[in-house]
Amino acid sequence: MTTTDGARLPTRQLIQPDVPRFERRTLKPEARDALTGLLLTMADDEFVLGFWDSEWTGIAPLLEEDVAFSSLAQDEIGHARVWYEMLAQLTGDAADRLAFHRAPEEFQHARLLDHPRGDWAFSIARRWLYDTADAVRLAALAEASFEPLAQVVGKVIREERYHLMHMDAWLRRLAGHDGEPRQRLEAALAALAPDALTVFTPLPAEERLVDADLLSAPMVQLADRWRSDVGLVLKELGLPALPEGRPPAEGRDHSKPSESFRWLWGEFTSVARLEEGAEW
Amino acid sequence: MRHAGNVTAPDIELATHYAREFYSRRQESVRLWVVPRAEITDLSDPDLLQPPLDRTFKKPGGYVMRDKLDVAKKRAEADKKK
Repeated sequence: MTTTDGARLPTRQLIQPDVPRFERRTLKPEARDALTGLLLTMADDEFVLGFWDSEWTGIAPLLEEDVAFSSLAQDEIGHARVWYEMLAQLTGDAADRLAFHRAPEEFQHARLLDHPRGDWAFSIARRWLYDTADAVRLAALAEASFEPLAQVVGKVIREERYHLMHMDAWLRRLAGHDGEPRQRLEAALAALAPDALTVFTPLPAEERLVDADLLSAPMVQLADRWRSDVGLVLKELGLPALPEGRPPAEGRDHSKPSESFRWLWGEFTSVARLEEGAEW
Repeated sequence: MRHAGNVTAPDIELATHYAREFYSRRQESVRLWVVPRAEITDLSDPDLLQPPLDRTFKKPGGYVMRDKLDVAKKRAEADKKK
């Protein structure tokens, strides 16, 4: 697209901003730092899952699902964009730098999202676990005292509703077909169970978030809420319950990035690394 | 209401999801009606839809009014002169 005088507009100016403009000073510095920590984990979760699931584009089980699953993956990258942009406004950083110019060690995604896509049942099981956990986390932010956050959370929740519907349909479909579909689903859930709670890895300054009425409850409580939600569905489908226990402290630690994440990081930064400082 | 297209899906639930992806992902729809193919009654019999005899009298353009109008105008003028 060009302006009237023929100059080319950068693509980013064509994208509708979803994050309302706000004054950084509305938040006290401690609350702001704590919120920055939380938003980075949420952004990285969505970003990494979005890229893993986009690995199905072209090879999903049926054409319609190919379009649907790719669209879910794009939605997550869209949500990541919103969180990176809010972070950028909070800290004076740039969304693109956060997304494409950090080292693999700096990412904060939950370990649940550190696995490659695996087979179809694995991707479905992982996304079902993540989407249900994300729903609990978003609900805990919906009443946040920081209006721009509550506003964006409200919009994201409306989009995530469809993700939950679609994942629920697939979980039931796989669970309801004895033989290979159910076996593969059970194997996937068993492999992911140890990492299932990592979405609720406690954050260093989360009590400040709770004190400032940004987050309604600490992560440990959110984890319990989620476990009882998904526990009901697993029980209904006759699937094994998730292991007891609390979210591990190192559930988002990537000081030694996995091989699979290094590979994914190489993929999603490959265009940005082609030419340093290039603008879209 | 317009026919948007068709999707292949194992059941109505996924068909609805896929219809949403194919026909409203870019906000081009405000409402979707999803119907299983088997529930669609196909009427294509030409005797019912394209009858062989002249039916132009059923179309608005089927009447030629010009001549009748001319006769009516002349009659009206003649009546005035009386």
